[in-house]
Amino acid sequence: MSQSDRFDLMGQRAAVRPVRAVSGLLDHMVEYLTRQMASHSSRRSFAGRAGAWLTFGSLIPTLPVSRAFAASPAIQARGKPKPPTPFASQAQTTDPTACNYWRYCAIDGYLCASCGGGVHSCPPGTSPSPTSWIGTCFNPADGHSYLVAYRDCCGQDACSQPPCLGMEGDQPSYRPQANNDIIWCFGTGALIYNCSTSVIVGNAT
Amino acid sequence: MKRLFSYQNMLDHSSVLSGKERSIVSLSQRFYFVTVMLATAFMVGSVADPALAGEPVLQEEESDVIRLPPVTSHRILVQDVVGEHAKDGRVYVVDADAGKLLGMVQAAYNANVVQDPGGKAFYVAETVWSRGNRGDRADLLPAYDPQTLTITNDEVLPGRALITPKKNDLSISNDGKNIYVFSMVPTSAVYVVESISHKVAQTVDVPGCSLTYPWGNSGFTSICADGGLVNVSLSGNHATAEHTTPFFDPEKDAVFEHSPTRRPDGRTWFISYSGLVYPASLSANTKIEAAWSLQEAAGMKRAPAAEAPFVKTWRPGGWQLSALHYASGHLFVLMHMGTFWTHKQAGTEVWELEVDTHRLLRRIRLPHPSTMVGVTQDARPLMFTTDKAGAFCIWDATTGKFLRQIPHLGEDLYFTVALGE
Repeated sequence: MSQSDRFDLMGQRAAVRPVRAVSGLLDHMVEYLTRQMASHSSRRSFAGRAGAWLTFGSLIPTLPVSRAFAASPAIQARGKPKPPTPFASQAQTTDPTACNYWRYCAIDGYLCASCGGGVHSCPPGTSPSPTSWIGTCFNPADGHSYLVAYRDCCGQDACSQPPCLGMEGDQPSYRPQANNDIIWCFGTGALIYNCSTSVIVGNAT
Repeated sequence: MKRLFSYQNMLDHSSVLSGKERSIVSLSQRFYFVTVMLATAFMVGSVADPALAGEPVLQEEESDVIRLPPVTSHRILVQDVVGEHAKDGRVYVVDADAGKLLGMVQAAYNANVVQDPGGKAFYVAETVWSRGNRGDRADLLPAYDPQTLTITNDEVLPGRALITPKKNDLSISNDGKNIYVFSMVPTSAVYVVESISHKVAQTVDVPGCSLTYPWGNSGFTSICADGGLVNVSLSGNHATAEHTTPFFDPEKDAVFEHSPTRRPDGRTWFISYSGLVYPASLSANTKIEAAWSLQEAAGMKRAPAAEAPFVKTWRPGGWQLSALHYASGHLFVLMHMGTFWTHKQAGTEVWELEVDTHRLLRRIRLPHPSTMVGVTQDARPLMFTTDKAGAFCIWDATTGKFLRQIPHLGEDLYFTVALGE
């Protein structure tokens, strides 16, 4: 324990007395307000109003206004983390058919979003693999990094739209869990690769 | 000319015939006239062309098949993975002196190819399904006659790893008697196949490890997930595995799978993403030596790894990103300017270094970025690169001068295999 720590503890003890005086005044005010409310309202109406505030109040953070505010430049400038990697610094969040879409930081191959599927959906006629490799990608919209599972869609030959190659965190095949060269079609019948999806499986921040 | 008048005369007299008769006569007369004129023209032309005057009449022909001469140092196997329809992969046989395609064989779906060190055969590890994209799976190891390009044995394997091809997922012992096939079905293992009997002699489990770097006649080394190696010694139907202590951090600065091995003595140079080179003499007791830096060899600062990912400098990258000329100890590495995590980016230069002195000998600028560099093992070595269009570019490895190219050999040229590798 340092000298300054001891000083702080002593200071807290010296401040006990005034707090007690203030709390006494608060006690009287709360008691008065409670009695006034009890004499002018029924128990049922109180419970209803309180319940309504609780219900709608909890929805306020989900309103578009709140979310737009959270994503505003002002918020970003105040405290959002900087992109941690070269890919993240160039990533965008609106076009999942472009190679610099933020989730594609470690993808390798054909984008299912360009092959008849979606970011996390396989094209018709293919089968999603239950296995995958994992990347960690930074989302510039919210400043968080996410664990992304790159699940291949299998059963048809390569979809052959323009390919993408993300290399961030990509490790050689002796680290299979982080390698994007393996045909991740285990458990799908024929291990023939068609395209890759990128599914968020957790927050890595 | 007489005949022409006569023909005109006949036409004049045809007016006495009926309409149908007239047309039949007219047609036969025209046919006769045209035939005579063509024959006359042919005869006149033949006499007028002295070049054709002495030509013999063409004889009937028999269909046949070319038989190639024995393998030479400059006859190269080039693997094309054909990424856009990977079931149609192939291996081209190329005469690098002439810049000419000699033939090809199929190499289905993320195949691997390896050649007998003496050039007596080459082997393709491939995977097919009985109904194209479905049905029963078959993992195969056909052995090819290098002169006829026909299959001499079509062995069925217990399995193999399906992965965008890594050269060291298939390797061969120094005497050509053992072929090592890496598999992930269902766990990490290596099938040891005898090339004479075409039988799987044994299966060696290598949990947590991958790839095969051969040494001697009966041993290989795999790289493990912890950043160490496992050395496997084979004896009869038994295998002994010894692990080394980790010597690199796979998350911060992994070593490339396509690091070159000098087959005769198992000497290997593991190149890391950042550009460190770890020399190692592979054996039952592999010793790893202190790393040296590609950038420092070029008089630059040592490149940082994942701890400073934004630093842009010259870095190694590509697919078959390095090649070694065994006799001279010259190492050829594809380099590009980039940040960390650009380890598969095509190289814009080839750096030629001397592995014994850690000296940079030459920087060869490439007209087009390449993901592949290869080299032959003879005294007048050739160097190979490719480009985005699938060209096969041939260089003089001694002078660093461009010689010739096959403009579009294939789609995705990943590997070269030269005699003796």
